[in-house]
Amino acid sequence: MTCKKALENKSGILTNVENFERDSVEAPRYSCALAGVYGTTLGIRGGIPILHSGAGCGVGQLFGTLYAGGESAGGNEGGTSTPCSCLVEEHVILGGEEKLRNLIESTIEIANDDLFVVTSGCVPSLIGDDVDQVVDEFRDKAAVIHVNAPGFKANSLEGYNLFWDAIIDQLLPDDAGDIEEKTVNIFGIVPYNHVYWKGDLLTIKTLLESIGIKANIIFTQKNGLDHINRIPSAEYNIVVNPWLGVRAVEKLKEKYGTPFIKFPNVPIGAKQTAEFLRKVGEKLSVPSQTVEEFINQKEDWNYRLMEYPGDAIILVRPNSFYAVAAESSYAIGFTKFLANELGYLPDIIQITDNPPVEVRNEILDEIKNNLDTVVEPDVVFEADTYKIRKNLEDRPFLFLFSSSIESPTSIEDYNALHIPISYPIYNKSVLVKHYAGYDGGLTLVEDIVSSFVGPL
Amino acid sequence: MPKQIAIYGKGGIGKSTTTSNLSAALSDLGYSVMQIGCDPKNDSTTTLRKGKSIPTVLDTVRKRSSDLDELVHEGYNGIYCIEAGGPEPGVGCAGRGIIAAIELLNTNGVIDEYDPDIIIYDVLGDVVCGGFAMPIRKGIADQVYTVTSSDYMAIYAVNNLFKGILKYSNNGGALLGGVIGNSIKSSLQEDMIKDFTDKTDSDVIQFVPRSPTVTRCELDGVTTIEGAPDSEQAEVYRNLARKVIDNKNKFLPTPFDNDDLSDWASGWINKLLVNEKIEKDNIQEGSSGI
Repeated sequence: MTCKKALENKSGILTNVENFERDSVEAPRYSCALAGVYGTTLGIRGGIPILHSGAGCGVGQLFGTLYAGGESAGGNEGGTSTPCSCLVEEHVILGGEEKLRNLIESTIEIANDDLFVVTSGCVPSLIGDDVDQVVDEFRDKAAVIHVNAPGFKANSLEGYNLFWDAIIDQLLPDDAGDIEEKTVNIFGIVPYNHVYWKGDLLTIKTLLESIGIKANIIFTQKNGLDHINRIPSAEYNIVVNPWLGVRAVEKLKEKYGTPFIKFPNVPIGAKQTAEFLRKVGEKLSVPSQTVEEFINQKEDWNYRLMEYPGDAIILVRPNSFYAVAAESSYAIGFTKFLANELGYLPDIIQITDNPPVEVRNEILDEIKNNLDTVVEPDVVFEADTYKIRKNLEDRPFLFLFSSSIESPTSIEDYNALHIPISYPIYNKSVLVKHYAGYDGGLTLVEDIVSSFVGPL
Repeated sequence: MPKQIAIYGKGGIGKSTTTSNLSAALSDLGYSVMQIGCDPKNDSTTTLRKGKSIPTVLDTVRKRSSDLDELVHEGYNGIYCIEAGGPEPGVGCAGRGIIAAIELLNTNGVIDEYDPDIIIYDVLGDVVCGGFAMPIRKGIADQVYTVTSSDYMAIYAVNNLFKGILKYSNNGGALLGGVIGNSIKSSLQEDMIKDFTDKTDSDVIQFVPRSPTVTRCELDGVTTIEGAPDSEQAEVYRNLARKVIDNKNKFLPTPFDNDDLSDWASGWINKLLVNEKIEKDNIQEGSSGI
C-alpha cells in the first residue's frame, strides 16, 4: 500500500497524523533507548557511560550511533573503550549485580571522568537486576546515576529524555540555590542523533551571548558535570524541539520553578533566528534595541551573502519542489527555511523520529501555519525506510533533504539532488558544520547551490 | 531412544513426591531411570538420596567448572539423579537457567553416556515463561504428565500448562500423556478432576489417595516405595509406573478460557463444600432429620 492512499486531508494538508500506526520498521532513523543514553553521555565532556548489557550493545552503537552521527568516534570513553559488564549466560541466570558492582568500582578508579552514567540494557531489565541498589553504593564516591534504558522500552531519541530524567531525579539538588539572571539552559538537541549537534549548540550559545544572555549548552563544554550542576540556577530553560527535552524542562519547572521557553525547532537562517532571539530577549528582559541592533547587523550581511548564489538559484533551480525526511525539529526548521527564505516549494515532509501521538498535531500545525508559500506539502509520519522511499515516488521534487541512506540513489530513484541533513549520516565527517543560526542557513544555501553548479 | 516424560504441577501439590515415587517404582520394575529436577529449589531428587541434596547443573556454571561428572548422582536402586538448580531467590532468571541446564545436558552427551530407559523431567508447574516450557518443546520430552489436586489453583495451573502444550503442539512439541490426581480424599474430588479432563479432551491416568504413609516416608528422607514397599500407597505408585510404561496416549488438550474455567470450578467447589460439611457434621444429605 502506498502511503498516499492512507493520507487524509486535514485543513488542506494531506497527512497521516491521525492514523500513523507502526508495526515493523525497516532501517529506522534511530536506534534503541540504550543507544540514546550512550550517545547523550558521550556528548558530555567528562561523562562516561557504564553499559550494563551484553557486549554487542556497545559495539553495535559504535556503528549504529557514533559513526552514524557524521562519522564520529566516541573518544576515550566511547567506542571500544566503553566500560561494559558484557553480560553472558551465567549472568542472565544468576544475576549480573556483582559484575556491575566490580565494573563501577574499577571504572571510578581508572577513568579520569566526573560523571558516571550506568545504563541498563535489555538483559538486566528482563532478569530484574536491582541496579539502583548497586548504584546507590557508589553515590557518595562519585557523581553516578542509573538510567534504566532497555532497548525494547523506547528509541534512542527517547533515550535522551530518559537521561535527563535520571540527571534531574538522581543528581541535581532539591534546592536551586541562587538564580543567575540572564542565564539559560538549552535542551532538545541530541548528541549524535542530531548529527550537527556540536555546531548547532555552539551557534546557539554564541547567538545568545551576542544579546547578553549566557547559555549553558552542557554538551561540548569542558567539565560537563559543572555545567550540569549549574542547571538549577538558570533564569530560564529553552527547549528547541517539539518533544525532546520537553519532559526535562517541565520537570525542572516542577522542581525549581524555572520557567521555560519552547521552540518547535532549532532556528535555521535569518528569519527563524531573529524570531528566536526576539522571543528569548523579550522573556529575559533584554532591551529590544540591543536585540534589534544585533539582528539588523547580522541580516545586513546575511542577505548580501544570499545575493551571491542568487543568480545560480534563479537561473538554474528557481522555485524548486523539495522533499524532507528528518526528525521533528530539523524537519520543521529546514522546511520553513527552504520555503520562506529560498522560495522553494514544499512537496512532502516526512517526520522520521516517531514522536509521541500527543505532539504530532503540534508538529503538523507548526509546518502548516508557518509556510509563506501557496503550495501545501503532504506531512507524513513515517519511520520505515522502505515506506519513506515509497512515499517519495512519482513526485515533482528536485531536492531531497534526508539521511545518507538516500544519497547513493536519489538521482536514480527520484531524479533529485540529495543533501544529507539528518541521521544517519555516514557519508560526511561532521565537526563544525551546522545549520543553526545565520551561518547555518547560509551553509544550507551553499550545499544546495554546490549540488548543481559547475564543474566548468 | 529413551522414553522421555515431563511431569508438571503447581508448587506444593506433591509433584516431586509423585515423580520420585514413580522413578523408584519404575526402577523396581527393572528400568534404568534418570530423574532431572527442573526447579530452582533443587529438591526433586532428595527422597531418592536419603534426604541429601546434590550439586546442581547450574552450580557448575556458577563455578565455571567443566567437570560434567559432578552432575549425575546415583540414588535409590541406581536411579540417576540430576538437579538443574537455579539462581538465589530474587535474582537472575530461573527460566533461562532451566534452558541452559537442559541444553548443557543434551549437548555434552551427559544423557547419552548413561543411556537410561526412561528420563523424567520434574518441572515447576506454573509455566510462567518460555524457560519452564523448555521440556515441552520439540526434541525433549515425548509425553507430559501433570499432577493436580482438586484445589482450584492447582487445576488452574494445569489449564495453563495445557495452553503451553497447545502452543508448542504445532511445532512437534510434547503432548499430554495424562493427568495424575493427587491428595484424593473423596470420590467427589475424583469426579471433579475427571470432569475437568473430560471437558478439556484429556484423561486421568491415575488417582493417588492422600496418605500419611507418604508424609512419614518423606520425613525419613525416602520415597514410599523405599520406606514402605508393602503399603497400599506403594502399590498405587507401582500401578502408576506400569501405566506410564504402557501409556501411548498423546492428547492435544483443549484448555478452558480463564472465565469459563472459573465458572466451571465454582459449581464443583460448591459441591465439595457441601460434601465437606456433610462429612464434618456426620449427617446424610437429604436425611429425615430424626
